[in-house]
Amino acid sequence: MIAYPSRLYRRGAAPWGTLFGTLLAVVLLTGVAGAQEAAPPGAAGGGAVELESNVFEIGRQLRCPTCVSQSVADSNSAIATEMRTEIRELLQDGRTEREVLALYRERYGDWILLEPPREGIHLLVWALPAIAVGLGVAALVLLMVRWTRASRAAAREAPPDPAQLARVRAELAGDANAASDAPDAAPGKRADR
Amino acid sequence: MKRLAIVTVVTAALGGLFLFGLLRGAPDRDIQSARLNRPAPTFELPLYARYQAEFGPTLDSSEILGQRPMIVNFWASWCGPCYEEAPDLQEAWRRHGDRVQFVGVQTQDRGKRTEGRAFIDQFDLGFPNVIDDDSRLGIEYGMFGVPETFFVRSDGTVMYKHAGPVTLEMIEEKIAELTSS
Repeated sequence: MIAYPSRLYRRGAAPWGTLFGTLLAVVLLTGVAGAQEAAPPGAAGGGAVELESNVFEIGRQLRCPTCVSQSVADSNSAIATEMRTEIRELLQDGRTEREVLALYRERYGDWILLEPPREGIHLLVWALPAIAVGLGVAALVLLMVRWTRASRAAAREAPPDPAQLARVRAELAGDANAASDAPDAAPGKRADR
Repeated sequence: MKRLAIVTVVTAALGGLFLFGLLRGAPDRDIQSARLNRPAPTFELPLYARYQAEFGPTLDSSEILGQRPMIVNFWASWCGPCYEEAPDLQEAWRRHGDRVQFVGVQTQDRGKRTEGRAFIDQFDLGFPNVIDDDSRLGIEYGMFGVPETFFVRSDGTVMYKHAGPVTLEMIEEKIAELTSS
């Protein structure tokens, strides 16, 4: 005999209590994760590994000023190395990731960010692809509706082919004859051709 | 007819975009400084020995800013274009050094004191040159590479940044702007 856990949900009954508990746990965990992100790295329980990981995370978002298409985290140039050192010092001083990024934006402008910020004119960069896809889908649907309507209208308006019409009439007549020739056929049932 | 017009317009637009991409040449790499019209970062950095008799062991920019315009030139001993522009900077300093403060900053050149001294001696640079050993001042100015020159108004705000070697004509033109404003 299989032993089931004692708290099985009754079939058909919504496990609201457990659902609520799960949602609460998710919300609380998300809150804790958010708080960890917002707190100055290295401030609470942050070891050298966490600090380096935060330096890398910020460096990954910054463009190396003297390189081509490389982030501060990836580049070994002198300036990128120095920027990583400065980021490390700023984090140790208690600055948050947002503050460090703001400092570099103040010096270099938005150019320094590898990903355009989601604000102001930069929103266009994020919104345009979605708008373009939306417009493309809308245009496609519109065209398909037009094409379907046009083909239906053409079918309605086209005069019937006399030869085809004659064949259909002959087949209908044949059906009627076959029905009358079969006395055992059930009423309403079509004869097999 | 209407469809033909739409197709023509779209094709012309795409063709125009394509041509623009082909004909515009190399993209402009001289990115405008985020420091323009904002206060220039202040600094106090060690000076090369030949300037210490006049200025002391360090140069404090806060003693200059707010009194007269300043031209801050970032250079490195390994940088070819820095050698091209050095004679023009020296000549500009000789002509206008009495009313504009010229400052050379050796940056992105960690530990290269001997090479830096040789650079200064080669052009007999009369204006003070400081050592930005960890390149922090360069980063604070939002510098991309060497050479770069910042033209700072007497009120301490950055008027213009030039990336690449400067020429005497260009320095003259910018000094005229600096001193007239």
